[in-house]
Amino acid sequence: MRWRWVLLLAALLLAPLVLRGAFYERTMALVLLAAISACAWNILGGYAGQVSFGHAIFFGAGAYVPLLLYSRWQSAPLLGVPAGVAVSLGIALLIGIPTFRLQGHYFSMATIAVAELLRILVSNWPFLGAAVGLQGPAGGRTVWDLSFRSSVPYYYIFLFVLAVLLAATAWMERSRMGYYLRAIRAGERAARSLGVPVRRYKLYALMLSAAFTAVAGSLYALMIGFIDPDSGLGILVSVQMVIVAALGGAGTLSGPLLGAAILVPLQTEANALFGGGGTGLTYIFYGGIILVLCRFEPGGLLELWRRVLAPRTLRPERSRSAHPA
Amino acid sequence: MATAAQVLAGGLLVGAVYALFSSGLTLIWGMMNVINFAHGDFVMAGMYIAFLAVAWLHAGPLAFSLLAAALLFGFGTAVYYGLIRRVMRGPTLAQLLSTFGLALLVRYTAFWIFSANFVTLPGSVLGGTVKLGPIFIGIPQLVAGVAALALTLGLHALLTRTALGSQILAVAEDRQAAMLMGINPDRMQALAWGMASAAAGIAGALIATFYYISPTVGESLALIAFVVVAFGGFGSVPGAMVAGLLIGLIEATSAFYIGPVYQDVVVYALFVGVLWVRPQGLMGQRA
Amino acid sequence: MRRVLVFLAVLVMAPGMMLGPAARDGVSAQAPVKVGVLLPLSGNAGAAGQASKAAIEVGAQVVNEAHPEMPALPLAAGAGLPRLGGARIQLVFADHQGNPSIGQSEALRLITQEHVVALQGAYQSSVTFAATTVAERNEIPWMVGDSSSPKITGRGFKWVFRTTPIGPDFAAAYAGFLADVNKMGHPVKTVAIVNENTEYGTSVGGGIHERMTKDGYQVVAQIPYNANGTDVSAEVLQLKEKNPDVVIFVSYTSDSILYMKTFKTLSYQPKMVIGDDSGFSDPSFVQSVGTIAQGAINRSAWSIGRPGSATYRINEMYKAKTGRDLDDTSGRNMQGFLVLADAVNRAGSTAPEAIRKALAETNLAPRQLMMGYKGVRFDATGQNILASTYITQLVGRDYVTIWPASAAQHALDWPFKGSQQ
Repeated sequence: MRWRWVLLLAALLLAPLVLRGAFYERTMALVLLAAISACAWNILGGYAGQVSFGHAIFFGAGAYVPLLLYSRWQSAPLLGVPAGVAVSLGIALLIGIPTFRLQGHYFSMATIAVAELLRILVSNWPFLGAAVGLQGPAGGRTVWDLSFRSSVPYYYIFLFVLAVLLAATAWMERSRMGYYLRAIRAGERAARSLGVPVRRYKLYALMLSAAFTAVAGSLYALMIGFIDPDSGLGILVSVQMVIVAALGGAGTLSGPLLGAAILVPLQTEANALFGGGGTGLTYIFYGGIILVLCRFEPGGLLELWRRVLAPRTLRPERSRSAHPA
Repeated sequence: MATAAQVLAGGLLVGAVYALFSSGLTLIWGMMNVINFAHGDFVMAGMYIAFLAVAWLHAGPLAFSLLAAALLFGFGTAVYYGLIRRVMRGPTLAQLLSTFGLALLVRYTAFWIFSANFVTLPGSVLGGTVKLGPIFIGIPQLVAGVAALALTLGLHALLTRTALGSQILAVAEDRQAAMLMGINPDRMQALAWGMASAAAGIAGALIATFYYISPTVGESLALIAFVVVAFGGFGSVPGAMVAGLLIGLIEATSAFYIGPVYQDVVVYALFVGVLWVRPQGLMGQRA
Repeated sequence: MRRVLVFLAVLVMAPGMMLGPAARDGVSAQAPVKVGVLLPLSGNAGAAGQASKAAIEVGAQVVNEAHPEMPALPLAAGAGLPRLGGARIQLVFADHQGNPSIGQSEALRLITQEHVVALQGAYQSSVTFAATTVAERNEIPWMVGDSSSPKITGRGFKWVFRTTPIGPDFAAAYAGFLADVNKMGHPVKTVAIVNENTEYGTSVGGGIHERMTKDGYQVVAQIPYNANGTDVSAEVLQLKEKNPDVVIFVSYTSDSILYMKTFKTLSYQPKMVIGDDSGFSDPSFVQSVGTIAQGAINRSAWSIGRPGSATYRINEMYKAKTGRDLDDTSGRNMQGFLVLADAVNRAGSTAPEAIRKALAETNLAPRQLMMGYKGVRFDATGQNILASTYITQLVGRDYVTIWPASAAQHALDWPFKGSQQ
C-alpha cells in the first residue's frame, strides 16, 4: 500500500518537468487546488457523513481575509492566511454548535443558508469590496507576495499543502477520531448509544475541514490574485468541492484526488472544445454524475474500481450505513 | 399609513405563494425525512411550462396552471420511483446529495434549453391593476395570492379530511404501523411526492404571470421554502401556511424599511436563528 | 510498379508541401495575425457576450475586406493590414463563463498555445481584472472595449488599454446634461439613484452619487437592490416617498422592465427618468415597456446615423449577421477592436512591444470612429481620455440623441411621459 503513495508522490513531483507549457502547468496547479478543497471537504462530508453544501463559506473566508489585509494595509497576503483560518473556524463553530444537536439534514440546509447569507452581506459591504471584489498584488513587490508569473511555483506549494492535508487525513483515519467519525456516519443514534461523543467529534471534524478549506481559499487568492462574492462564496464553489470528492469516493483518502484529476481537466477541455456551450453543459454533467453516483455507486469511482477489480478481497463494508430506524 | 398597508398587502400575497410550494416540501420531509433540494427548481419548471403553454398553445392561466400541476405530478412520482425510493435505503450522503444533483440537473437543463435570459409572459395573459382603498394591487399578484391560499387550504383539507389524506398522514406518522394496516407506504410516498411537486408546479405557474422566469430562480425559492418549513415546523402543512405568510410579510417590510438588498439577509438570518432557538419550528413535531 | 512509386513519392511530398507555408519563419504576407477575444459566451451574460462576439466579427470583416464606402475609418478601405503585407486578422474566441479563474486560464491558453499578438475582453469587470493580470505578466497588450470598473486601468499596468468611457465619464455626462436642463428652465434639484448591487451598478451608481453631490444636487436617496429580483415595490414606494426630480437607474434589462411596470402599477411618475444604458438600451426593453416608458432618457455612444453613413453601413452588416440592430455595448467592443487593429497596423509588426507602443501613440479623430467618442487618445494609465457619450431619449420606439447640442437630433421632451402621449 505504501509504495503506491511513494510512486504517486514521485510522479506529482516530476510532472511539471515532463508536461511543459504554461497552460498545462496551470491546469495541473488547478487540479491540485481542487484536490485540496475536496480533501478538506471530505473530512467532514465523507468521513463524518455531515454533508455541507456551503463550504464556500470557509473557502471564501480564507480567500477574502488575506486580500483584505493587502487591500487595506498593504501587508503581504501570506500573512493573512492564519487570520483567514481563524475567521473560518469562528464561523464553523457558529454553524456547528446549534445544528449538530440535530439531524444531519439541518446542518446541510444551514450551510446553504449561511453561505448565501454571507455572499449577500459581502456583496453589499464596501469594506470587503462589495460586489467589485478585492485584488491582490498585481506584480510581486517581494517574493513573499507569492505573485509568480509561472504556475510552477504555485504547483509545488499546492503539492506541499496537499501532502500535509493527506497526511493529516490519513493519521485521523487511523486514530480514534477516525473510528468515531465512521461510527457517526454509520448511524448517529447507534454511535451515541455506544458512548461516542457524537457532537464533540462532529465539531472537531467540522473545524479541521473548515481550517483546510480556508487554506485552499487562501491559495486560490494567491494564485488568481482576485476574489469577489461569486468566485469566493458562490454556490458553485461549494458544488465543485462536493462533486469532486463524491466522484472519486467520499470518505476515502485518495477519492478526492481521483475526482480532481478527472474533473478539472475534463472541464477545461470541454470549455475549450465547446466554447459557447460551456456553463450549462458542465453543470448538467455534474448533476447527472451526482445522480448516477447516488443511485448506483454512492461510494464513487474508487468504490466502483474496488468492486469490479477486487471482488474477492474480503474487506469490511465501508460505504453502507446502517438502515435508518 | 397607506404605504405601510401597501407593503403589508404585497407581502401577504407573495407569502401565500410561498406557503403553497413550501407545504409540499414539508409534507415530503414529514413523511420521509428527505429534503428535496430540487424543490425550488420544480417551481421554476412550473414557470417554464406556463411560458411554453402560452407560447405554443395560447393557453389561459387556468389551463396552464393545471398543465403545470399535471406534468409536475408525473415528474414528481417518476423521481420518487426512479431515484428517491432507491436512495432512501442507502447512505445519508447519497440521500442528501441525490436531490441536490437533481436540482443541478433540472436547473442547468433549463439553462441550456432556454439560456440565461429571463422571459416573461405577455401582459395580455393577466394584467392590470386594481385599487383597494389606498392600495394598488397588480391583478396577477392578487390572483396568484388568492389561488395559492385556496390551494394550500385545499391541500390541508385533502390531508385531514379524506381517506386518502389520512392514509398519507398515517405513513408519515408511523410507516410500520401503516403497513400493518394494509396501506402501501410506497404508493403513499410516491403520491406525496407527486402532490408536492404539483403544488410547486402550480405555484410556479401562478407566479409566472408577474415573476421573471429564468433558470436560476429555483435557488432562492428553495431557500425560502427551507426557511418557511423550518419556521412552520417540519411536517406541518398548517405550519407552512402560517410561516409562509409570515415570511412574506417579513420580507416585504425589511425590503421597505431596511433596504431591498437586505430582505434576503433578514430571512436567512431568521432561519439560522430558528435553528439555534427552536428547531422544531412553530408547529412542528420533532427535531 | 511505377504507379506505386509515384504514389509513394506524392505521399512523402504532400505533407512537406502542406507544411511549407506554415514552416516559413516569421510573419509572411499570408499568415494571419491572431487576436484573442475573451467573452462570456455562456452563463448569465451569455447573450451580451454573443452580441459582442458578432460585433467584433463584423469589425474584423471591416478590416479584412475592402470597404471603400467607409473611407474615414482606418483600415476599412483596403483589405487586411496594409503595413503587414495585407495580412488578415484572425479572431480566436474563448468563453470564460463569467469566472475570473477560467478567464485567466483562457488568457494563458490564448497567449501560450494560440500565440495571439493581443487580447481583448472581457465584459465582466471581475474577469477583466483577473485576466489582464495574465496579459501584464506575459507582456501581451490587452484592449478593454467594455468593462467599466475604473480600477482596471488604475493599477499601474503598462499593457492594458481601454477605449470605452467609464463611470466618471457617464457621471460627467449626466451632470452636464442636467446643468443644461436647468438652463432650459426646468428645475431639477433633487436626484435619486437606483442601482443594482453587483459590480456594474455599485461602481457607476457610486460615481454618479459623488458627481451629483459635487455639482450641488441633492441626492435624496441611493437605493441598491438585488439584480434580477422579482418585486421592486419596496424600491418604488421609497422613491414615491422621497419624491426626487430625477430618478437615475443603473440596472440591467429585467430590472429596468420591472421598474417601468411597477411605476405604472403604483402610479408613480417622476419628472425625469434616466437609465444608464444597459437595461434601457436592450431591444427587449423597448419591446416590453416602450409604451409606458415614453420620454425615458438614456445614454449611448452609438447612433445608427443616416443611410449612407459609415455607421449605418456597419449596422447593416451587423443586422445581416444577427438580425438585430447594433447595441451600445457591442458597438463599444467593435470600436475597441478597430482601435487595436489600427495599432497593430501602425506597429507594422506582430511584436508585442511594438503593438503596445503603437497603442500608446494612438490619436484618432472623431470622424475616424464609429462610436460617438470625442476621439481616442490614451493617458498614462491606458484610459481613453476622449471617451464620451451622448444622451438620448425614448420617443416612440426609438432613442433619439438630445445632447450634447452638437449631436442632438431632437429637443428634450419634458417631463417624463410614462404611458401618456
